[in-house]
Amino acid sequence: MSDPVNPSVDSAEYPPELARLPPGRHGLPREFVARNQRERLIAGLAEAVAENGYAGTTIAHITRHAAVSRRTFYEHFSSKDECFVAAYDTVMAELRQRVDEAFNQEEEWAQAVQAGIAAMLDFLIAEPHLARLSMVEALVAGPVVIERYDAAIQGLVPYFQAGRKGRSAKVLAGLSPSTEEALVGGMVSLISRRIFADRTEELESLLPDLVEFALTPYLGSAEAAKVARSR
Amino acid sequence: MSEKGYRGVTVADIVKRAGIARNTFYENFGSKEDCFLAAQQSAMSAALSRVVEAAGEIDDWPHRVQAGLSAFLSYIVEEPALARTCMVDALSAAPTSVRYYEESLQAFVSLFRLGRDVSPHGQELPETLEEALIGGVFWILYQRLLAQEPERVAELLPELVEFALAPYLGAEAARVVAMEGGTAASAPTPHD
Repeated sequence: MSDPVNPSVDSAEYPPELARLPPGRHGLPREFVARNQRERLIAGLAEAVAENGYAGTTIAHITRHAAVSRRTFYEHFSSKDECFVAAYDTVMAELRQRVDEAFNQEEEWAQAVQAGIAAMLDFLIAEPHLARLSMVEALVAGPVVIERYDAAIQGLVPYFQAGRKGRSAKVLAGLSPSTEEALVGGMVSLISRRIFADRTEELESLLPDLVEFALTPYLGSAEAAKVARSR
Repeated sequence: MSEKGYRGVTVADIVKRAGIARNTFYENFGSKEDCFLAAQQSAMSAALSRVVEAAGEIDDWPHRVQAGLSAFLSYIVEEPALARTCMVDALSAAPTSVRYYEESLQAFVSLFRLGRDVSPHGQELPETLEEALIGGVFWILYQRLLAQEPERVAELLPELVEFALAPYLGAEAARVVAMEGGTAASAPTPHD
């Protein structure tokens, strides 16, 4: 029986050293194979983009890294842009989940912010390819991704807004409607500039600076510095 | 550019709008990327020279920052298309553009950094503070330009001044300076 998902006609395209699901013999349900291929394509895109940059990446690069056929690519995505959007969404969902978990594990807001930032940095350090994809290449990957990139950054605002709760009138008077947006923008720019310049290893030492920067408007600089240096 | 964004624009569009021959384009620029970079550089240097002109001679640091930001915001209000080129489209054009954008922000880093000398805790401020503050200010401006609201940029002056000064002077003192300045459109400039 011919396999509708992995048509054997494309076999010649595969470099022999790349393993793939053997057509027809794995006994896995079709949806699983399809999902698995989608995941492989997404992983393939991340690898291809890390190697060639977004602009230099072709569909052939992606399918070679994913070890699937060109036809399979077009069963899942209509274009490179669309595949990138899927990859971007996958990375951001993962990042967001890690930040959320870390944030929610802490009782105190200041410690929660610190844990959330640490979780974000840990992920970006552990996955330099995905860091580059989500913070650098996303900006050149077309208007759809830019919109999501902006929304993802703005999506961090509520974590900081939570810090207004229970503050004195004096502290609140020092905050403007855009304070949190500016904080988030500043933090993202510190992070993305290092990734852009291929200095991902510097991200680890950025933690205390980011924490102090984020907490100062709410706690004052002395208290913010104390929390920042506590970890 | 302001109609289609960087990716949508072709060399054909550029020569049509400029009313020149395709050959003339390639005599001046190697590619769309080169042409964009030249436009970006010219817009950014126009904006920065306004900042230097407005802020350069003011000795009092908080007011110097205020005058510099005010001049920059006024440029955005007056030249929204050029501001978009050098602050929004630059980020999604080519790596050379992103690099130039990053470098041009250094002018503000030096200006902000002088605040360490007047801050009571200037010695203890994190090394990356200026980079983060400027990143924050530019993120807000990017959002307004992206939302096609350049005219609302002038209103942002007090909150941006406050945001920039607070880590050095404390929230209260920053607020006092921010409130006396008004919006970018009404702020006094050395020419008035």
